[in-house]
Amino acid sequence: MRSDLDGEKDERLAALAARGDRGAFDALVTRHRQAVYRLCWSAAGNAADADDAAQETFVRVYRSLPSYDPARPFGPWLRKIAWNCGLSVRRDGNAGVPRVAGGDAPEAVDPAPGPEEAAAGNEERRRVSDAMAALPAELRVVMVLRAVEGLSYAEIALTAGIPAGTVMSRLSRARTRLLAALGGGS
Amino acid sequence: MECRETQTLLTAFHDGELPADGRARVEEHLRGCPECAALLADLERVDRAAGVPDPGPAYWDRFNARVMDRVEREANGPEVRVLRPKGGWMREQLRYLVPAAAVAALVVVIVYYGGMRPGAPTPAAPPAANRPAAPDSAGERMTKAEPEPGATKKAEGAAAARPVPPPPPAKELAETVTREERDRLADRSLPEGDGVASRDRAAAPADVNVPSPPTALQRAPGGQERPGAGAGMDATGPVAPAAGSPAVPAADGMTQGSQAERKKMGRAAAPMAEPQGAGKETSASGMGVAKEPSPGSPCELARALAERERFRGAEDAQRACLAGDLDAPSREKGLVFLAELLDRQVRFAEADAVIADVDRRFPQSRPLELYRQQRPMVQRQPKAVPVTR
Repeated sequence: MRSDLDGEKDERLAALAARGDRGAFDALVTRHRQAVYRLCWSAAGNAADADDAAQETFVRVYRSLPSYDPARPFGPWLRKIAWNCGLSVRRDGNAGVPRVAGGDAPEAVDPAPGPEEAAAGNEERRRVSDAMAALPAELRVVMVLRAVEGLSYAEIALTAGIPAGTVMSRLSRARTRLLAALGGGS
Repeated sequence: MECRETQTLLTAFHDGELPADGRARVEEHLRGCPECAALLADLERVDRAAGVPDPGPAYWDRFNARVMDRVEREANGPEVRVLRPKGGWMREQLRYLVPAAAVAALVVVIVYYGGMRPGAPTPAAPPAANRPAAPDSAGERMTKAEPEPGATKKAEGAAAARPVPPPPPAKELAETVTREERDRLADRSLPEGDGVASRDRAAAPADVNVPSPPTALQRAPGGQERPGAGAGMDATGPVAPAAGSPAVPAADGMTQGSQAERKKMGRAAAPMAEPQGAGKETSASGMGVAKEPSPGSPCELARALAERERFRGAEDAQRACLAGDLDAPSREKGLVFLAELLDRQVRFAEADAVIADVDRRFPQSRPLELYRQQRPMVQRQPKAVPVTR
């Protein structure tokens, strides 16, 4: 990533990318790829589909940059695209995502836990991770957006296209299930 | 504050979403209630443990390059394959078969009409009209899409297993044509050889990237739009749709005209255009199924323009339509339709905003859900579709 772009705001990078600055687009991808992947994973529920959706998200972002208004915040716009892509690739759903033909099959995603998780050896985290994967997508996404990304109810509502009250009730249900996976709690 | 009330508010308290006064009351209760304090600790414990498995540094090292690779391949006009919706294969095929059958029916009518004129030679039955169009068009489409070999085989098998019935003989069909219909067709002053050209088009393969095969009523030979034909546009601008103009479904999913509408309009050729329950084929955005507008209304105009792939004009008309007095279901479908029109102009962010608006106004919207399923395919098409601005 170009160092001169480090301090630039997302909206500025998007405007540069819309004018054909590939470095700016690369910086945007680097900055947001993990959050996009996590959101796609929360929608899709597995690593392979999350990879597919995350890639597709940035392809769509690139395609849509000419119509992006830099006066509007970039984050919610990106998350909305990612959420739609995540829903689209769900193999248990009824839709498909167009793919580029020829040699673009998503690489196998390492199923092993990340270094941080491996180092911690945290059994509790592992169990919650399994329970997260087992949650329905609508519960999982609010959990990821809140507990992992730290978004407010309003931001989650915008991303998932649900009322803020529904965000709270879904969070409550998700936590209850995860708590059960942890062994009941208090 | 009691435990029950506190526990109701605990999630919002934990997430920092409680107003200041409520927050103070919960904090006060927590100081004196170990049970509720333990519940709060559980919430914090779950959130700390919650996470998404990280695919690892090797994955991230290649991520950007893979994105750019896809972007560049798209910019160079890639071949695309679309994962078909589960259970939606036949529906996909009907998007191509219905227009093909409609064209074949029209050819039969035109040929028959030619035979009715005094002194005209009795035309031979057109070959295209007597053979099923389904295997040709479906097979060709699958070949162009270049899916994996298994999929092509499957497509061919399905096409062979469910052939579309051939159009009825010309005489049988012509007996159902009203005098008004014949007069209307006569007034079109079809150029010489149009029937042959139309017949050729009926047998021509449907292009997977431009899935809106022109019909004899929509376009004259050479791709020129013919005034007075089709959905109500002439060369100079929009006009009110002709009451009897056949609504040939656009093969791109924005199907026009429900079976009920066609029956209502008394079109002679309509049954030919609706094989195997095609009348159920409607766009997720409700095109052709929304509250039926009066002829010449912005709503009707929007559909007519969209049918002709004039998405910019259709968008303007649809916005005018939405500014009118619509009932809730019509507004819901109309907004989804607007999103589709924006997608087709590659204005995805604006479409996203409209979709968010639908989500907000109509939670769990079924038309929106249906459109979301089609959306990836819709968004892929505009590159091959000229947008009229």
